[in-house]
Order: sequence, then C-alpha cells, then structure tokens
Amino acid sequence: MAGYRVEDDYDYLFKVVLIGDSGVGKSNLLSRFTKNEFNLESKSTIGVEFATRTLAVEGKVIKAQIWDTAGQERYRAITSAYYRGAVGALLVYDVTRRATFENVDRWLKELKNHTEPNIVVMLVGNKSDLRHLLAVPTEDGKSYAEQESLCFMETSALEATNVEDAFAEVLTQIYRITSKKQVEAGEDGNGSVPKGEKIEVKNDVSALKKLGCCSN
Amino acid sequence: MIGCEFMWKLGGEDLQGYFPVRSECQADVPRTRFKSRAGKTLSARRWHAAFTEDGHLDMERVLRRIQRGGIHPSIKGEVWEFLLGGYDPDSTFDERTKLRNHRREQYYAWKEECQKMVPLVGSGKFVTMAIIAEDGQPLEESSVENQEWLVKTSVTDKRVLQWMLVLSQIGLDVIRTDRYLCFYESESNQARLWDVLAIYTWLNPDIGYVQGMNDICSPMIILLEDEADAFWCFERAMRRLRENFRTTETSMGVQTQLGMLSQVIQTVDPRLHQHLEDLDGGEYLFAIRMLMVLFRREFSFLDALYLWETVVSDDVGYGVQSKQLCII
Repeated sequence: MAGYRVEDDYDYLFKVVLIGDSGVGKSNLLSRFTKNEFNLESKSTIGVEFATRTLAVEGKVIKAQIWDTAGQERYRAITSAYYRGAVGALLVYDVTRRATFENVDRWLKELKNHTEPNIVVMLVGNKSDLRHLLAVPTEDGKSYAEQESLCFMETSALEATNVEDAFAEVLTQIYRITSKKQVEAGEDGNGSVPKGEKIEVKNDVSALKKLGCCSN
Repeated sequence: MIGCEFMWKLGGEDLQGYFPVRSECQADVPRTRFKSRAGKTLSARRWHAAFTEDGHLDMERVLRRIQRGGIHPSIKGEVWEFLLGGYDPDSTFDERTKLRNHRREQYYAWKEECQKMVPLVGSGKFVTMAIIAEDGQPLEESSVENQEWLVKTSVTDKRVLQWMLVLSQIGLDVIRTDRYLCFYESESNQARLWDVLAIYTWLNPDIGYVQGMNDICSPMIILLEDEADAFWCFERAMRRLRENFRTTETSMGVQTQLGMLSQVIQTVDPRLHQHLEDLDGGEYLFAIRMLMVLFRREFSFLDALYLWETVVSDDVGYGVQSKQLCII
C-alpha cells in the first residue's frame, strides 16, 4: 500500500458508504483510515460527513471518497442521497452490543434497496479490542456474512487492527470489478459486451469473494 | 476537578475558565476567538444597570450591546432567558419569580410523570442500552447488562413505547456530547442532559428525539443551574429550530434550509454552486450539520454561543439561518 498522494492525482474515484447503528464506531473507523486518528471523545455524526484517502491498488491510484452517516434511524429519510453512486459499503456493528448485530439485516435490506446490485459490501465487527465484553462471537459474524455473500472482518479502530485491511479489501474488490468491466467493454471495440459472453458483474462479486475475501 | 486547572487567558481576562476544558483534550478543541471587549460586550454591570427598580428591562439597550460584542460568560444564562423569549422584558421581578416558580413546578410534574414510566429518569443515571424490545415486550434479562432498568411489563401504548425506545439513543448521544468540557466529567451532569432531552421528547412526540438536539440542549444545561430553567430555555430554542428536526419517511425538515442555502449560493456565487452540484448532486448535504446544530461543531463552545446570541439579538431569527451562513 502506497502512502498519501497529491489530492487530484488518481486513476479511479470510488464512493464508499459507512453504515450501521449509532455508536458502533463508524466515524472512528473513518478517521483511523483517513487520518490515522482515533478520538475517545468523538461526537455523534449529524447527517453525513465525508473524508477521502488515496491509495494504490494493483498498480492503480484509487481515491476513496467515504461517506460517514448518522446511525439514528430518523436520518434514513435522506438516505437516497447517501447511497447514490456508492460502489462499496462497510456495514458496521459493535461486537460488544448484540442489538447492533441483530440490526445488520435491516441495514442490508436498506442498502440493497438503494444501491446497484454489484456493490461490494463488507460486514465489519468493530471494537474487537474489548474482548472481555464480547457479545457477538466471531463465528456469528462470519456465518452471517457467508450466508449473505458479504466480506467480513473484525476491526478495532482504537488499536488500528484490520482497519486498513478492511477498507483496502473493499477498494480492491471494487477495482477488480471495475477494471474487468472495462476490459469486457474494450474487447468489443465499441464498448458493448461481446455476444454470448455476457458476464454478470453481480456473479463476479461472489466469485471474487470466494477467492480473496473474508480472510479474517 | 482534576485535570481542569489549565485555562486559557484571553484578552486579559480568563474567559475559557468559565467553561474549562479537560487538559487531555486541549489539542482537539478549536481555539476560542471570542473576547470580552470593554464598551462592547454586555458585562454583568451593564446588564444589571439595564433594569429599573421593579425589574423592567431596557431590552433595546441590551440588544445593541449583544450585537456589538456578545454576552459576558458570567451572565449568559440569565440573559439568554430573555433573549430566547422566555421572559417578557416589560414584566417585574415579582411577576417573573412567580412565572419561574410556576414553570419549575410544571417541569417537575412532567418529570414525575416520566419517572413513573421509567424510574431511571431523575435518578442521576441514564442508559445507553435498550430497556425494552421494539415490539414492546420486556427484554430477556440475560441479554443485557443494565438489567435493573429494564421495563418489566409489556408496553402497548404506541407513544409510550416510542419514547422508551429512544431513551438509549439519547444516552448514546449524551456520553458523546461536549465530552471535552470538564462539566461533563460528572455523571450527574450528563444525567441532567439526559433527563431534559428525555422529558422534551416525551412532550413532543411529533418531533421526537433526533440526533443533534443534544448539541442544542447542552449549553442550556451548562449555563442554567436549575434543571427546570435549562429545560425551558431549551424548549424556547427548539421553538425556532424544531422544524429542522421534523422527519418523515422521505424527508427531513432541515432540507428546507438546505434548499434555501442552495438558492442563496446560486445567486451569490454561481460557480461555487455548480462545483457543489458536481460533488454531491446539489443537495448541500455537507451543510446539514452546520444548520442543525448551528455551528456547535465548527466553533469552540464560547464562539458558538457568541454566534447564537448575536444572531438571535439581531432579531433576524433562525428562520433565515442560511443567509447567516453565507455571511459567515
């Protein structure tokens, strides 16, 4: 992974959304990834906040534009704008609060209702540093993710465990899908998919997941 | 209070000392630019001199001061009660004392009403975990830590259930409200914020509790010693702001303000508007926070209060916040 680059020097711009219940640590995951900061005194997110980080994926420069959202359900009223154009999502729960895991289902439905079917989704169990308070065993997260064909990782924004990996994994998946789409489009010479060889991007996602994802 | 001895000296007077910041948080807090300026800022002396013997207040004179230099931190609470319309400047001391007592009784009656439903209210403690299941059934005791606060019987009344369900959300926000201030190191002060928000939510089911109200309420808790007085100040402020917090399935009240802001920018700076449109579809979502919590997050505690009081005293009102935003 390369370091930070000049702001507008990138090959791809990907929009990624952070969703999940209130207080699961979405904003701290974001600040850990984009600024390598963690704030114990962090405040609730009002509406939506943004941050970007540029990183190298398979030789290309990817600029990730990450939208961090308020967890309270009342803010769902303006979600269509959050999700518009998103190609990736981190669906976060708190491993110390079972209720936030039980709500994952609801978040996933909402995500599917508002985004393209080929969006890359990673289920993230955050606060893994609080081992003594664990209320959602890793297995539960893992098996839910498998069942729904999502990537899965447990993270700790506080200890900076897996945060980089989680975002990088999502961005890599997005990149592979995007570049494959481009290759397919290019093969035909005028941008359309070759006859008889139509490859559903949706299927590609699950294929990729079987290969490289859910490494945790 | 350990760790709070560190205070900033500003303009020769220690203003930050009124709202001390935890020493370990100094680096994360925006610098305060507000200074008490002689002859401009409304001082305690000027404030008290603006009352007649029986208590009539020369509001015009006070407002002019506030517009020029804000309110000195030592008197913010009592001035705000007038500024937000809680008390009539033409009333007497006696009339206001009566009114204050009446309002306090009213508040504590409401508090008791809430206490009967959830004994946690007024206990000096609060919750961040659910106390009841979403369907109104009691939660299984084994699944939750704070078992003593669980609602033991099923709840069928929709208003009561909605209210009970949002209490944990209020708690989650209270522990994240102005944490850098020494004031909120005290659990009982956090609980006061929680109580006021819980009671307001109970009384306003049409708006309910929406994240961000905590940022509006927090200064009232800090500025006004009596919880009931803080509640009434918050209630007054919310009269101006509540429409921002009104949500339906598909819209939030603040979008009206965003639309207005969009129009203003389009007129004032079309190129900037175009740029913003390219970035997020022209919905001005980036400004939600600024408008909903009135720059509490952008400015230091004192600077945000200074902004609020100059805007209110200007009698422009919050209805045209978007225009204010442009000026800023």
